[in-house]
Amino acid sequence: MAQTLPLALLQQAQTRGSAIALRYKRLGIWHARSWSELAQDVGRLAAALHQRGFGRHDDLLIISQARSEALLLALAAQWLGGSVTLLDPERDNRALLARLRPSFVLAEALDAVQQVRHADLPPRVLLFLDGRGLNAGEGKGLSAYADLFSGVAAEPPVCATEPAAIAFVFHADTHGPSLRLSHAQLLGGARKLVAREHLSGAEEALAARVFAASGQARYLLAPWLCAGFCLNFPEAMATRDTDRRELGPTLVLGTRESYARLEQWARERLPLPGTLGYRLYRWAMVPEAQAFRRWLGYWLIRRPLLDVLGMSRLRVPLLVGPALSQESAAFFGALGIHPGNWQEPSARQEPADTRIPLISQSV
Amino acid sequence: MSATTESELLRLDDISLSFKGVKAITSISFAVKAGEICALIGPNGAGKSSLLNVINGVYQAQSGIVTYAGQARRRMRPHQAAERGIARTFQNIALFKGMSVLDNVLTGRNLKLRSSWIEQVLRLGRAPREDDEQRRRAEKIIEFLRIHPWRHVLVGKLPYGLQKRVELARALAAEPRLLLLDEPMAGMNAEEKDEMSQFIRDINREFGTTVVLIEHDIGVVMGLCDHVVVLDYGRKIGDGTPEQVRANPDVIAAYLGTRRSRAESH
Repeated sequence: MAQTLPLALLQQAQTRGSAIALRYKRLGIWHARSWSELAQDVGRLAAALHQRGFGRHDDLLIISQARSEALLLALAAQWLGGSVTLLDPERDNRALLARLRPSFVLAEALDAVQQVRHADLPPRVLLFLDGRGLNAGEGKGLSAYADLFSGVAAEPPVCATEPAAIAFVFHADTHGPSLRLSHAQLLGGARKLVAREHLSGAEEALAARVFAASGQARYLLAPWLCAGFCLNFPEAMATRDTDRRELGPTLVLGTRESYARLEQWARERLPLPGTLGYRLYRWAMVPEAQAFRRWLGYWLIRRPLLDVLGMSRLRVPLLVGPALSQESAAFFGALGIHPGNWQEPSARQEPADTRIPLISQSV
Repeated sequence: MSATTESELLRLDDISLSFKGVKAITSISFAVKAGEICALIGPNGAGKSSLLNVINGVYQAQSGIVTYAGQARRRMRPHQAAERGIARTFQNIALFKGMSVLDNVLTGRNLKLRSSWIEQVLRLGRAPREDDEQRRRAEKIIEFLRIHPWRHVLVGKLPYGLQKRVELARALAAEPRLLLLDEPMAGMNAEEKDEMSQFIRDINREFGTTVVLIEHDIGVVMGLCDHVVVLDYGRKIGDGTPEQVRANPDVIAAYLGTRRSRAESH
């Protein structure tokens, strides 16, 4: 049984190498990577980071939304025994960056690059994903993520990480305590989740903002490597509702707020009150109706609504944090979706810092 | 006629245009350097849109020469202008409202198609590969202008500001060297204008596209453009950098209405 995240990846590559590990959307088209391709990519990235001086005591700081490139580079840093600090690109991280003084940074776009540059001590290596607005050759150590793949040694370095090593670090604010999660903690919790929810390699999970909060690492990333299901990345945060509809995931993870946002999104698209369509919707959403009414309501209203929400194949709706509001619970309950709370025991033993978001907006 | 320099993409020499005896443009000359953002400003009826129409061949000037990419000509049809890399947007949105955003942007790629109609109909030869390439290029523009959340939405259902962006995307899909924008920010609020200005700046920087635009918001023009040409009653009254134009007494007079009072004082 793999004891670290990179070893879990290698195990999946060995046992189910041709299965799809990851799917991401670029320029309107879905692209897929198998477990063996993913392991190769991570190995090459590990070699590239190693060439740039990244070692087992180093930390890679990532400022990015959910993007497959960021996930791969995080695994590559962990492959080398290093840790990964994850910051939300939508926050002002300048003060925190000035305190952390990171040496290795992956910044998603110009805004994040500018935040990093604001720090007194520039990082040794500053990688970017989206070069829009950046001038070529500007700044020492600045290079494109895509360039990591050119001129890399054929053989990746040996996977050097240990179970007790820190995999991810999260910061609530500039001066608050950090939350540090080891490989062992992550995988231990993930195995419990996989067993409890009977997750298998057949699941399709949607990952929006994988790196924004600790809950994503605990309840999505680590279970993904344990169970070997497919992790899908939307094209952008703005397209996640469309992308969910196209994918029809079987596993989603969200908070009270993210489920409420989705409920609101659906309600805005309902027929206007007083119309025949609205009365039909109300008729079909009554929870304890007779069998015929349930059946007809499902095919006339609830099934099309589930399709619009991208939840018609949903099997495991996870909820992290506080329970849904009564309205949201009733709305999703009528659709047959009952998000259950999930708090792994290990999470309760860690420093209780409520300011560190468990998860944000993944549904 | 003045000689064009290598850095000039567009040069207008002594252009005049009239409609049934009404002079819309009178002896206008100016040059636009490759890679610059040039604004045409002036009060309503100054001849700005007519001048754009002369540049891309919708109107034929009665006199004068338009030199584009080193080639001088007296007459050019709009399709020839498009083939030579001139694209434009319109003051009143001219999109296919019943088509999706993606399909509208793809229409901007029509001139780039090389397969014959029979190949297209039968999906033979170059057609399938070319379709994939057209889609990829259109998607790049769609992503660049951040309209991907609406790529499959009918254009008629989009708000005005987004429709303006789709129109810009369609023009950009033709991979123009010269982009003519007729009031790209008309009817927009301050936030939308900021956003559109940023997109125009990005297009200019990332693709090296030369831009000639008409805009009424002087604040936007001064912040966005490298070069400003001021028209008034079909004549050019100012031409220079935003700072030069701002200090030009004729421009101040035209915009602030001080011409009469100055004349009276003489």
